[in-house]
Amino acid sequence: MRGGFNVPAAGLPPAGVEEPPATDRLLVPLTSRRFTFTDVRVDDGQSVSAGQVLAVDPDRYDVPLLAPASGTARLSEAEGHVVLVGLGAGSAAGEALLRGGPDDRGSSATTSRLVELGVWQFLSDARTGEVVDPDAAPAGIIATALRLEPFLAGGEAQLRGALDRLARGLTSLAALAPDAPLFVVVPDCDDPLASELRETAVALKGAHVVVVPLRFPFDEPAHIARVAGLPSGLDDVVWALRAEGVLAVDAALNEGRPATERVVSVAGPAVGEPVHVRAPLGYPVEGLLHGRLCRQPARVVNGGLLTGETLAPGQLGLDCECAGLTVLAEPTRQTLVSFARPGVSRRSYSRTFVGTLRTDMAMRYRAALSGELRPCISCGQCTDVCPAGILPGVIHKHLYADRIEEAQRLRVDLCIGCGLCSFVCPSKIDLRRQLLAAAGELREEARTIRAEQAAAEEAARLAEESEPEASGPAGETGGSTTGAVVEGAR
Amino acid sequence: MKLVRDVLDRFEPLFSERGVFRRFRPVFDAGEAILLSPLDRTTVAPHVRDPLDVKRYMTLVIVALMPALAAAVYFFGLRVLAMVIVSYVAGGAVEVLFAVVRREEINEGFLVTGLLFPLVLPPATPLWMVAVGVAFGVLVGKELFGGTGRNLFNPALVGRIFLVLAYPKTLADSWLYARPQAFGDVLPMDLDAITAATQSAVDVMSSATPLVAAKNGVLVPLWNLFFGTVSGSAGETSAAALMLGGLFLLFVGVSSWRTVAATLGAFAVTTFALHGGSFHMTLWHMLAGGLMIGAFFMATDPVSSPMTKAGRVAYGAIIGVSSALIRNLTGYVEGVMFAILLGNIFAPILDEVFINLSVRRLREEG
Repeated sequence: MRGGFNVPAAGLPPAGVEEPPATDRLLVPLTSRRFTFTDVRVDDGQSVSAGQVLAVDPDRYDVPLLAPASGTARLSEAEGHVVLVGLGAGSAAGEALLRGGPDDRGSSATTSRLVELGVWQFLSDARTGEVVDPDAAPAGIIATALRLEPFLAGGEAQLRGALDRLARGLTSLAALAPDAPLFVVVPDCDDPLASELRETAVALKGAHVVVVPLRFPFDEPAHIARVAGLPSGLDDVVWALRAEGVLAVDAALNEGRPATERVVSVAGPAVGEPVHVRAPLGYPVEGLLHGRLCRQPARVVNGGLLTGETLAPGQLGLDCECAGLTVLAEPTRQTLVSFARPGVSRRSYSRTFVGTLRTDMAMRYRAALSGELRPCISCGQCTDVCPAGILPGVIHKHLYADRIEEAQRLRVDLCIGCGLCSFVCPSKIDLRRQLLAAAGELREEARTIRAEQAAAEEAARLAEESEPEASGPAGETGGSTTGAVVEGAR
Repeated sequence: MKLVRDVLDRFEPLFSERGVFRRFRPVFDAGEAILLSPLDRTTVAPHVRDPLDVKRYMTLVIVALMPALAAAVYFFGLRVLAMVIVSYVAGGAVEVLFAVVRREEINEGFLVTGLLFPLVLPPATPLWMVAVGVAFGVLVGKELFGGTGRNLFNPALVGRIFLVLAYPKTLADSWLYARPQAFGDVLPMDLDAITAATQSAVDVMSSATPLVAAKNGVLVPLWNLFFGTVSGSAGETSAAALMLGGLFLLFVGVSSWRTVAATLGAFAVTTFALHGGSFHMTLWHMLAGGLMIGAFFMATDPVSSPMTKAGRVAYGAIIGVSSALIRNLTGYVEGVMFAILLGNIFAPILDEVFINLSVRRLREEG
């Protein structure tokens, strides 16, 4: 294990999970980080029951968005949301319908049951983070019991008193894909919950236990997939899910319960009393933040400090992929010659501040660049911190000069997007975004090339069947298009 | 703080789109950046950034050079400060000119070059020559390559080499014998007594540097080399002051310990071999001349050294070995400058080699 760094950020929530105050309406967003639920299945004013399909994402395997409670749906009240009002008034018949209990259909049927019950949102491909094809057999399953990104709700919030359900969920998961090895990622620390968790994992039959140090981002599925040596081809699918995902699998497959609530953290340097909250989908963001902010102006981030996205201005409720709301103060005050001060209250990855010697101290970060954008000075900090062992600074220089093929040679595809390189860069270069964009571009390119080759081969085969001499030109066309794609991708 | 902000706000219109000095916007920005911390916000993940920035990075190098500067002023007088000021003004003018023409920001890297350059010159160098040298160094050593971060060579060294080649006679006449002058004799030990022995021997060539004297068979005692009571470039004579600053830079992690250790180690081994296994001569050569300032402050410039860790070790080794070889086996008495430039030339190829090795390792890992 190389690189990695725990950002010493103040504002972490305590371990317990709170129930949020009651709300009279839920605003379920039709978009989330990966999903766009364009196909709305309810009408304005229709009464819906809990667990009923509100909308599906036709581009991503028809994954449904489920109603978190019964009530009356309003479509025009907030743009991009299904608003549920009159909560709890609907019939309980729908819920009863869903509580069918474990069924005895085959494994692909159970996968589709996970999709039906809204659990598929909790799964992602370990390498790419994309939505997984429910029909593709996985080459491996990675279940991470911890989440080390600052502020997000991790295992310590979700697994207290839930270890038996976790074990049951893992067993159900393993039964879904009997041929795929199951990796359970547990932390290496002295906490009683952690040791109980390790025992639970070890007791599971056929599961591989991966013990990782509590250092970000060693819990990331992409990192684990590589450490575990899982295949990384274009077609290889590795299921990755966190503790809440496994619990959702258990609830869905063993109790027939749909996954319509999430444990989220409401935390960050600008939050006075950080908490973990168990809230249904669509719970108003305003309600979660109300009375908690201690600094203004603040930026609300949907997700963690290092990889989250700024909450879309129009998003009013909790989306189906949210793991936490991180609130940061924007910088407002300038300080005189701050760069030349000893920095007693500053923590840094480097040893250039006196505060670095105070290891017990956490820093109240702001959404500040903390410096000016400069050309790379080759200090090498990005290389030191990179958990993937690639050279972000060198790749940046090649990308700056438009040499994406060099980035490919330097294995930009191994980037797991943890954001530590951008975090430590003294020149404040957006390394994470540049590397992820290049990796995504190369992946798309590879897929396009392969699809075209397949089409060309298919065409050649068809041509050969009808008239054998036509096969040559068809192959050539395929080749030249491929070249054009490579050029165009630059 | 408020006062500074108010003053800046008053002058801001002059440098704005319609202002008289709009072309000199970089100067205003640089001034503001130095006085007040920026309010720039992050726009994409990660939403927070480490507090270390390039300004602080470069500032720490300057802080680390303070003992050497103090020693230089102590031994060679306030003239050294005049050289520093001239160097900053002349080099700064070139930097500002390029920033204005390119419409880019003024980079902090120059603040290090401007201080390092006079410290590697003979203390009696004419001030106009300091100006010409630093201008040449910044122009050819840095700006022609595209500015800080893109230069191949250490700009201060480029300027130094230019002066050596352009005005060899004047530079050779500019050596002074180090003598506490600015503040009187405040060093705790009686340096005069220590130096007395050598003084008489070196009298003939009163201001010859220790390395020149050594070629003529006169060895300056180690203590003088250590404290700096010898002739030499303004900031290179006091090994103690340089080590103090250099170790600070290593501690804060701004300079690479791999580069420093490899340079000094390779130099020591080579010198030890060339002098038939004499520990005394090895130590003597390590403290003499520009090795200390070269190893701690010049070779460690991150921009002109390799990025890879193994590359930095190899780079240091090249510098160490070649300095020793040039010093002992060629017509030149000092080889550190040339050796570092040679290392700069090797840096990209060393990176290429070690990057390829690490790519191969990544491929094997899958």
